[in-house]
Amino acid sequence: MSIEIRNISKRFGNFVALDNINLDIPTGELVALLGPSGCGKTTLLRIIAGMETADQGEILFSGAEATHLHARERNVGFVFQHYALFRHMTVFENVAFGLRVKPRKERPSDAEIKRRVMELLGLVQLDWLADRYPSQLSGGQRQRIALARALAVEPKVLLLDEPFGALDTKVRKELRRWLRRLHDDMHISSVFVTHDQEEALEVADRVVVMNHGKIEQIGSPDEVYSSPASPFVYQFLGNVNVFHSRVQGGYAEVECREKPERATAFVRPHDIDITHSIAEGSLEATVQHVHPIGPVVRIELLHGRVIVEVELSRERHEALQLVVGQQVWFRPRQLRVFGADNQPAAASEKQAFLF
Amino acid sequence: MRGNKLTRATQEPAWVRYTLLTVGLGFLFFFLGLPLVAVFVEALAQGLPIYLEALKESETRSAIWLTIVIALAVLPFNILFGVAAAWAIAKFEFKGKSLLITLIDLPFAVSPVVAGLIFILMFGSQGYFGEWLAAKDVKIIFAVPGMILATLFITFPFIARELIPLMQSQGKDEEEAAISLGASGWQMFWRVTLPNIKWGLLYGVILSNARAMGEFGAVSVVSGHIRGETNTLPLHVEILYNEYNAIGAFAAASVLALLALVTLVAKTIVEWRMKAETDMLNAELPGEKTS
Repeated sequence: MSIEIRNISKRFGNFVALDNINLDIPTGELVALLGPSGCGKTTLLRIIAGMETADQGEILFSGAEATHLHARERNVGFVFQHYALFRHMTVFENVAFGLRVKPRKERPSDAEIKRRVMELLGLVQLDWLADRYPSQLSGGQRQRIALARALAVEPKVLLLDEPFGALDTKVRKELRRWLRRLHDDMHISSVFVTHDQEEALEVADRVVVMNHGKIEQIGSPDEVYSSPASPFVYQFLGNVNVFHSRVQGGYAEVECREKPERATAFVRPHDIDITHSIAEGSLEATVQHVHPIGPVVRIELLHGRVIVEVELSRERHEALQLVVGQQVWFRPRQLRVFGADNQPAAASEKQAFLF
Repeated sequence: MRGNKLTRATQEPAWVRYTLLTVGLGFLFFFLGLPLVAVFVEALAQGLPIYLEALKESETRSAIWLTIVIALAVLPFNILFGVAAAWAIAKFEFKGKSLLITLIDLPFAVSPVVAGLIFILMFGSQGYFGEWLAAKDVKIIFAVPGMILATLFITFPFIARELIPLMQSQGKDEEEAAISLGASGWQMFWRVTLPNIKWGLLYGVILSNARAMGEFGAVSVVSGHIRGETNTLPLHVEILYNEYNAIGAFAAASVLALLALVTLVAKTIVEWRMKAETDMLNAELPGEKTS
């Protein structure tokens, strides 16, 4: 089922949670709503689920108006951040809940309920926990039970609020992969909210980056990462070096326009190359710190009074043999400049050589 | 050696400990233990047969009966109001919420006698609705309905007070989950909300029930003290005592004391269950096992 979000706005008192949001989610897609806390992503998810009403705008499910449908009529599976499992029910009863509360005509028989619940528990690989209570489960197990419970009513849309937020890194990684597989098997549309860029980039087909109640960018994980549409997206997705530059004069100068004007250049740490000798378009710096972190080596350079972060592969670092205090030259392979109006300025290839 | 010294360093000297214990226990004995014992000793002063005889007296029996009737009549209203108010306060945001919370506490702040007088002012023969009620031949003041109203006023905060913090701490996630799974409002209430608050609700019921049975002031004002008709146990105790019927007064008082003891036991059991349940819910998570 496709979801269309049209001109949705929502305020809480004076706080603007959502400001005229427009978004299309085609059938079968896994979409991540990514943004810092307070950006409105959870509010948007709750509006789609019908747990919150928008002040303005409409929601369409498969092209049909759904703004005024009650949450229970939307056929939406919702997975809560803190799972919200029914604490006084066993795992089995939790998953069976959605089937047991159906009107008598549609309600499956007890045997059928048992079969379906055990099938779902098998799907989340937790059938051996059917008689336990939620308090007896680990966080990862609770999360999977919450998913099984949401899937029991065969929703056409699955909505997940920070699904892996409360779990430790290893469990999180496994569950991410597992969610992706599950989504592909079930042929449903899924939307999940996250503040973790790695999670969004790894799992989603499409990432919606939000900030202050507005959508900053919509695109594939690759698009939002490698060609961010705004300084916010640049800074929110991954590490970045920011060069506040004037278009003429000073260091890290970006001379792509004739009139002197404020501009900001963004360079990812792994898009910077270090050399021992001076080359065209490169800047001088001293090595401040060398931190080997897993597969990469993070280097801090001091250029004037600005610290520049560089990420080198281990091989490249071996070849360079950098020592703290050493004089080196660095050159951005790729950068992006935003003008004072936060709009991308000119073509980026050119700028790279105009330092 | 070192451990010993450390323990001593964090402990009060023996004489301080014993003095505090003596003061504390002595106070409890004189103000709680002794009166309780005295009630039973006085009631049984002339032997068990006379005690039982005093309880069998028709006016005493009708007072016991009326006390139970009023407590039972008040209970459903208290449950209904308590759950509704706690629900509204814990799960919704609305204007005037803090005013409502303050109003719920009003019966705690107002003297019970004043509470009784309010009802006289409203429903008494000179009251706002007095004439209208007289015309319809409905008796509220100096009759059982008035006593139920007065008791209701005195006891309604107990359940709400107990449930508000409980429901606030539970949040509304589970209710929202139930709705998103297709449950109707009633299904959500019976299957999710009620099981989550049942021990807190029971605790509130026990407290409000104890108060309903023991209430004197408010009920005294509206009752009219008609023997065998509008006398509850506490009122009856006073009447008997004023008539120098010590055995009768203490026999009736012993029934109230017994009710209090039963309440205490029930309260302890419920408290224990509530604690067990919260402990279970806050139990430490076992290690992550995912495959």
